[in-house]
Amino acid sequence: MDYELPSEFDLIVVGTGMIESIVAAAASRIGKRVLHIDSNNYYGGLWASFNLDSISNILNSASNIETNLEVKQFLTENEKIYQFGNDAFHMHTHSQIWHIPEKANEQTETEQSDLPTECIQKEEESWTQEKLLKNSRKFNIDIAPKLHFARGDFVELLISSNIARYSEFRSVSRVLTWLNGQLEVVPCSRSDVFSSTKVSVIEKRMLMKLLTSCVDGDEKEFVGYENKTFRTYLKDRKLTDNLIHYVLYAIAMATDTTPCLEGVENTKRFLSSLGRFGKTPFLYSMYGSGEITQAFCRLSAVFGGVYALSQPLNGLIFNNENKFKSLLCGQQRISAEHLVMGIEKLPKEFVNFTATQFISRAVFVIDRSIMASEKENLTLLLFPPEDGKNPCTMIEVGPLTGTCPKDTYIVHMFTKQTTNPEEDFKHCVERLFGNSKNESETGEKENLLPNVLWSFYYTVPNTVNLDLKNGIPKNIFVCPGPDLDLDYDPAIAQAKAIFNEIYPDLEFLPRAPDPEEIIIEGEDNNNIVTEGENLTDQPIDEATEAVADLQIETSNDHGEGSSGIEQGEAE
Amino acid sequence: MAKTYDYLFKLLLIGDSGVGKTCVLFRFSEDAFNTTFISTIGIDFKIRTIDLDGKKIKLQIWDTAGQERFRTITTAYYRGAMGIMLVYDITNEKSFENIKNWIRNIEENASSDVEKMLLGNKCELEEKRQVSKERGEQLAVEYGIKFIETSAKASIRVEEAFFTLARDIKAKMEKKLVSHVYNDCF
Ligand SMILES: Nc1nc2c(ncn2[C@@H]2O[C@H](COP(=O)(O)OP(=O)(O)O)[C@@H](O)[C@H]2O)c(=O)[nH]1
Ligand SMILES: [Mg+2]
Repeated sequence: MDYELPSEFDLIVVGTGMIESIVAAAASRIGKRVLHIDSNNYYGGLWASFNLDSISNILNSASNIETNLEVKQFLTENEKIYQFGNDAFHMHTHSQIWHIPEKANEQTETEQSDLPTECIQKEEESWTQEKLLKNSRKFNIDIAPKLHFARGDFVELLISSNIARYSEFRSVSRVLTWLNGQLEVVPCSRSDVFSSTKVSVIEKRMLMKLLTSCVDGDEKEFVGYENKTFRTYLKDRKLTDNLIHYVLYAIAMATDTTPCLEGVENTKRFLSSLGRFGKTPFLYSMYGSGEITQAFCRLSAVFGGVYALSQPLNGLIFNNENKFKSLLCGQQRISAEHLVMGIEKLPKEFVNFTATQFISRAVFVIDRSIMASEKENLTLLLFPPEDGKNPCTMIEVGPLTGTCPKDTYIVHMFTKQTTNPEEDFKHCVERLFGNSKNESETGEKENLLPNVLWSFYYTVPNTVNLDLKNGIPKNIFVCPGPDLDLDYDPAIAQAKAIFNEIYPDLEFLPRAPDPEEIIIEGEDNNNIVTEGENLTDQPIDEATEAVADLQIETSNDHGEGSSGIEQGEAE
Repeated sequence: MAKTYDYLFKLLLIGDSGVGKTCVLFRFSEDAFNTTFISTIGIDFKIRTIDLDGKKIKLQIWDTAGQERFRTITTAYYRGAMGIMLVYDITNEKSFENIKNWIRNIEENASSDVEKMLLGNKCELEEKRQVSKERGEQLAVEYGIKFIETSAKASIRVEEAFFTLARDIKAKMEKKLVSHVYNDCF
């Protein structure tokens, strides 16, 4: 390395996960000297996205701790040193499997050479490992996929802090559920409800009435339901079974035992984000959710945060009062007043809590959409609970999101773990994918279920509700890993809480000035742009608000290199 | 809201720390050379709209925000970039040698058809020169890209560099548009 890191900071952040990155950005933003450091050679930690090559390497990512280093020599009297990292809070891989041959077999290859080009093209349609790996770079596979509520805490924070300029989004084009043995589109906007052929006229009126009363939040509406389930409330409102299914399992993302008021809150969260961008309440980050952590890191760097990845983090140094003093990076001691770190980096000596809840996760690369249609969709599928299985959340992304190559899709699944990921998703996989079934079928191509080309099952501990202060030195703040929320709400809340504890009374991510607003002599950045936003009284409204502050990618042709070309209007 | 430009190009600056990227950006966008501001305010990107053959081209030029120092440029930095200025310092041999590492980095992260250009900056410091102009030219030829020596301080050829890059992107883009139209017709 040509440059040496400075030896003193106000704050050191170890690990580049979501919460760590938000705290780093917020501290730099108010002028604190921040070192953001990671032993990984990539951004994002447990929240990262990977290409196809690199995701297979996270399984055996060797740490670059210098085990032979005589660390004692860097300590003064009465100091202690602890090594980074623990095994308790990492992701755990169950399987990563190819479902296609390694190469096209030779017989086919020799045959091909005699054939006219059209036939070769046809032959090429079938995927091989070799061919997918050739496209490795076109993949951005999230290990903690997220969607964003158009009016949720995350989108509002991006806009208010002006971090939105570092990321681009696409809106989710449909919300699906599994109903009566097949995939169904959940009517979520007003026009969806009215144009739906699956919902009768009477049902339409019922549904609109119910959704309106949920959002208007008339106190009296829910009197007596404090200890009852949301399902009971919906039943009492005389909703038909299909409508209950849509509202309970899809719109409220609830289960049969979800308390009424929680169900109402969830319904509000969904409905209040409708009508801002596109047809559903949700957005997805272009090039994967891992880009989001990087957007916060960029802001931190712009405000002076020092960034260093792939660092040999050799230990944490404490004084005799168990106060964090410095970190040992290679052979350099770097000191700071405070330390923020991801839970997976925590020294074993400080692990005084155990995860009791786990998240089952799976990723599938497939060869066509789970519900193909003329144009490419970005899909949220809420698979309802059944037979002792928890509800499963699935996100299907296609090439237009910049996360997979042409003619492939990625399906992400996650759920609260009951046994293990394979078991927890078995019923979904059997119904949605067709690896075995297609062979016997000779039906129309459209009816074919997608084939799984590659699958990855893993478990992540859910650490968001642990008491991460228990036994931790006062000037250290531990960030939990990814949680089950569809959006980043809990992550933002955690980051804000940590920030407020370290820097009480200081503003959390005030709006960063636009480059045009930066005047070299004397700053003038009180030029806060408030958004002309008005929440409509109508819960369901499809009018799309043009919010210039968020970049929404809408093109249907995301050819390489063509992105970003914006053509102005002729005068 | 009518746009005041015909095209928007996103450009990046890449190269070792200290070669003068931020200064080059300031020379082009503000026609200024000021070394005091750099450490105080983070420079995100700068905008300048130029005229090229009757078209208004808005150049949005992004700086590394110091993340190049420990090779921690985010993958997000490269998204949507249409042109990249690779900058080295003619008085610093190492910064020249590192250009090939930066090119590898670009190949891994940027779009494959991104337009690149090589800049040898601080060219007014002739007495301290470590990298001859010929070696710069030679390297550019190897990668099939254009090369210019500039000085942000003495304001030498910075304009020319950005105009050249913008013109090449525009040409490439228009060629693409034509071929699209062609494909659509036949
Ligand atoms: N002599 C000379 N110095 C320059 C020139 N451009 C930049 N510098 C100096 O080089 C140093 C680094 O410049 P900076 O723009 O911060 O480099 P960056 O790290 O690549 O952004 C500063 O001290 C500048 O004053 C130039 O053209 N000539
Ligand atoms: Mg700079």
